[in-house]
Amino acid sequence: MGINKQWVLLVAGLALLQGCASTNRDAIPVTEAGRPVEASGRIPTQTTSNTTAQPKYTQPSAPVQDSGVVVMVPQGNNPPLQVGSAAANAGISVNPPPVWNTPSAITTTPTIPPSAPTMPTAPARPLDTASVLAADEQLDGPVLALLTTAQQLQGNGDLNGAASSLERAQRIAPREPQVLYRLALIRLNQGDAAQAEQLSRRALSYAAGRPALQAGLWDLIAQAREKQGDPAGAAQARQRAKVSL
Amino acid sequence: MTHPKRRTGGIRWWLSGLFKLFLVALVALGALAVYLDEQIQERFSGRRWAIPAKVYARPLELFAGQKLSQQDFLTELDALGYRREKTLNGPGEVVINGNQVELHTRGFQFFEGTEPSLRLKLRFSGNYLSHLTDHQGKDLAVARLDPLTIGGIYPAHNEDRILINIDQTPAYLIETLVAVEDRDFFEHFGVSPKGIVRALWVNTSSGKLVQGGSTLTQQLVKNFYLSNERTLSRKLTEAMMAVLLEVHYSKREILEGYFNEVFMGQDGNRAIHGFGLASHYFFNIPLAELKLHQIALLVGMVKGPTYYNPRRNPERALQRRNLVLDLLAEQKIVTLEQAEQAKQQPLGVTRSGSLANTSFPAFLDLVKRQLRQDYREEDLTEEGLRVFTSFDPLLQIKAEQSVTEVLGRFKWKGHEELEGAMAVTNPETGEVLALVGGREAGFAGFNRALDAVRPIGSLVKPAIFLTALEQPNRYSLTTALPDQAFSIKDGTGQLWQPQNYDRREHGSVYLYKALANSYNLSTAKMGLDLGVPNVLKTIKRLGVDRDWPAYPSVLLGAGALTPMEVTSMYQTLANGGFNTQPRGIRSVLTARSEPLKRYPFQVEQRFDAGAVYLTQYAMQRVMTEGTARAAYNRLPRNLTLAGKTGTTNDSRDSWFAGFSQDLLAVVWLGRDDNGKTPLTGGTGALPVWVEFMRKANPLPLSTPMPDNIVEAWIDPQTGLSTTADCPNAQKIPYIRGSEPMFGGCGPVYDTAPSTAPSAPGDDPIQDWLKEWTQQQQ
Repeated sequence: MGINKQWVLLVAGLALLQGCASTNRDAIPVTEAGRPVEASGRIPTQTTSNTTAQPKYTQPSAPVQDSGVVVMVPQGNNPPLQVGSAAANAGISVNPPPVWNTPSAITTTPTIPPSAPTMPTAPARPLDTASVLAADEQLDGPVLALLTTAQQLQGNGDLNGAASSLERAQRIAPREPQVLYRLALIRLNQGDAAQAEQLSRRALSYAAGRPALQAGLWDLIAQAREKQGDPAGAAQARQRAKVSL
Repeated sequence: MTHPKRRTGGIRWWLSGLFKLFLVALVALGALAVYLDEQIQERFSGRRWAIPAKVYARPLELFAGQKLSQQDFLTELDALGYRREKTLNGPGEVVINGNQVELHTRGFQFFEGTEPSLRLKLRFSGNYLSHLTDHQGKDLAVARLDPLTIGGIYPAHNEDRILINIDQTPAYLIETLVAVEDRDFFEHFGVSPKGIVRALWVNTSSGKLVQGGSTLTQQLVKNFYLSNERTLSRKLTEAMMAVLLEVHYSKREILEGYFNEVFMGQDGNRAIHGFGLASHYFFNIPLAELKLHQIALLVGMVKGPTYYNPRRNPERALQRRNLVLDLLAEQKIVTLEQAEQAKQQPLGVTRSGSLANTSFPAFLDLVKRQLRQDYREEDLTEEGLRVFTSFDPLLQIKAEQSVTEVLGRFKWKGHEELEGAMAVTNPETGEVLALVGGREAGFAGFNRALDAVRPIGSLVKPAIFLTALEQPNRYSLTTALPDQAFSIKDGTGQLWQPQNYDRREHGSVYLYKALANSYNLSTAKMGLDLGVPNVLKTIKRLGVDRDWPAYPSVLLGAGALTPMEVTSMYQTLANGGFNTQPRGIRSVLTARSEPLKRYPFQVEQRFDAGAVYLTQYAMQRVMTEGTARAAYNRLPRNLTLAGKTGTTNDSRDSWFAGFSQDLLAVVWLGRDDNGKTPLTGGTGALPVWVEFMRKANPLPLSTPMPDNIVEAWIDPQTGLSTTADCPNAQKIPYIRGSEPMFGGCGPVYDTAPSTAPSAPGDDPIQDWLKEWTQQQQ
């Protein structure tokens, strides 16, 4: 025995040590969880833009109408109206500013499909129909696309993401009251009734000639005031909502 | 198996002693291994690096109908490092064909989602982007570029890096690194005796130090865990740790660690670490877009980042790069042809590190101040936060150019001492778009836009007029004000005797004209009638958080504000009476792009929209016929603008604050030592502002008329209401019920057409009126 036995011991000892130190490589969860996502924020690029690489913000595959957008009046008993957005020119400008919908841009304006086809059965109030983008105004191109994105994010419960998307729309069309209206709705959902009212008021200053939207905004103000403990103010706003229509 | 007992006791004793010693050493080694192992795992599996926060400019939005000139668009693409090519082959490339631009965007992770990498076709027409489609020609509603990185939040001395993912490395990068630094990387177990031998052989036979003996794993271990000392024990620890690292982690993980850790250069106090940042720092493009010759340069630099710095030692760097390319060909990683082609390329490094912290120091300063209110310093310098801002580099460049150009025109004695500051916002969103902190905008230092507190002079006046116009039963735009000398005791018991700039009295003037011409006497008198405390309240409601004593001198602008505070004040005027605090940050994401915080748009109605509408009207008259009428020498007449000049005693401060529909800009000029200048607001700050507006091509101001506003035809001779066909009638807005009584049509004047070319458009009556009003000054 002697040497051989010692060698066996040695080998066994080494094996033991090795067993302690080594582990199955594949079984270690190390960097899967800890792997830093690239800090620059760049995402894997797609070199070929096939159909799977469609942008998030394309227009919804909605029934496209030839001209304008049908106004969906909340009561549902009025005939659909055609509404323009001429109000913006009521100011004192010498020239109306060039707006983002140049003639060369999108000529047809798609409506956004109601996600719930049975919508009109409920006594329609803007907040109830918040999940359905009431396509009661002339929106097009980028703003419509971003509102749609916001709608989706809100549907997933991502109110901050939705607000972020709406602010993106606001930067593109700061005077589109529909954008401010949506933003106000989100604030109300987030519990910030004061901002909901302020945003609605800002929206109202851009909503001349758009009675349906005005009514919706006053209604929103009424709800915001109620939440702020101002029932009298709420009643007043409700009255304005009726007048607007 | 039998063993004859032939051994002597001596040998037996010796052997047994050796064995015991061996066991002790083994246990010690084992303990060391366990210790090192722990160290390795702790560092490698946890958060490996402290990453400074990165600050991004606004991403450029693209949509049909957007106000964006092709030139501006290409400027932005150049800043982002998009390469102009003949055909599109991948992200970060652009093809220009007349007014058509095709590009392959990079894609980016934003707060609310991922912007995919797309191939876009754009067409420009005039100053507008007229068409936006995908590569198949299908209309695209909206897309956005990746945002420009404008800086980071660094501690005094630090390492900076952009983490990369091994899956996103460009072709040849891994092969090149392995070929140059460690040929057996994929075969060895952490240390490579073969590699050492080969390195010795190559180095001695070529006579140059081409290859090092340590493996990539060893190099990573050395940088990662160990000090720089060169001792045998350190070398042994390094080898042991390298083996342990290989036991635990895959080759790709080790490579990824290497790519992120390796030191690539020094940028002032900032150490450039990792290939991700090096790619941006030297080539201004993301790592994934590197081409063979660029890869060869970066890999070649690993051996001596300072020695082979391509900016400081271009020839050495070129030699080293070509050596690397030869090696690649030799090892059949690329063909000889490829290597030759790559060797023909210039180094292609940008002139200076484009991520340098110094490019836009004033705006970055604003961002940092906001961040420091909300985050701990170590979170900002270590957590790799991603900060999205509203900064518009295109407007910033225009603002800087405007300051430089106009200041460069001054030739009077001491003009070199003149300093300037400028703030630009979008009044409708409240976002800060550009900030200039001094005439040398690129140099960090005293940020005058945020820190120069200077008397605002007549910039205070709109607050007085707004206070008045909020009381329609007392004041309208055509209320007659006496512009006569007077004196009163001020708060300190001294006599206060305001004077007009021209040292003359102007008799009875219309309220709007008092503002347009910045008459001090009539304005101060009205302010006193309103009550100084009430005017101060208005200033607070406009968004200025200062406690000024209620002295009459405040009415003429003795109170001091920073340009940014003036911006806040004027934003409420520009935004229909809705206050919005200027915001520079939009949102903050974690290093892993998880939403952390948003800085949302917030408004608060502070004033009746009608009263603000009237104030804006008077401020428009400042531009058309008042102290800022020189603006229209350089700007188109049909561009409706509103603003106010400000000049302080002895022309120590020259101010202009004004806005279009989409841009509000405040300009201050003066000396840091508060010395005299020969400038008024109209001759100093106004030209800067005008130059900026000319470059920025803003939308004309067009505030929607509030419900309580009516317009009436006014006979300027009588100040009474008249009919539209009255020859000299002027349309003036009023709060409903405050319009003057009907007074028929006043005395008829000779309506011979004016010869002055200064009138807007094709309205002879207005032309004549303008002529008439200008004669009154």
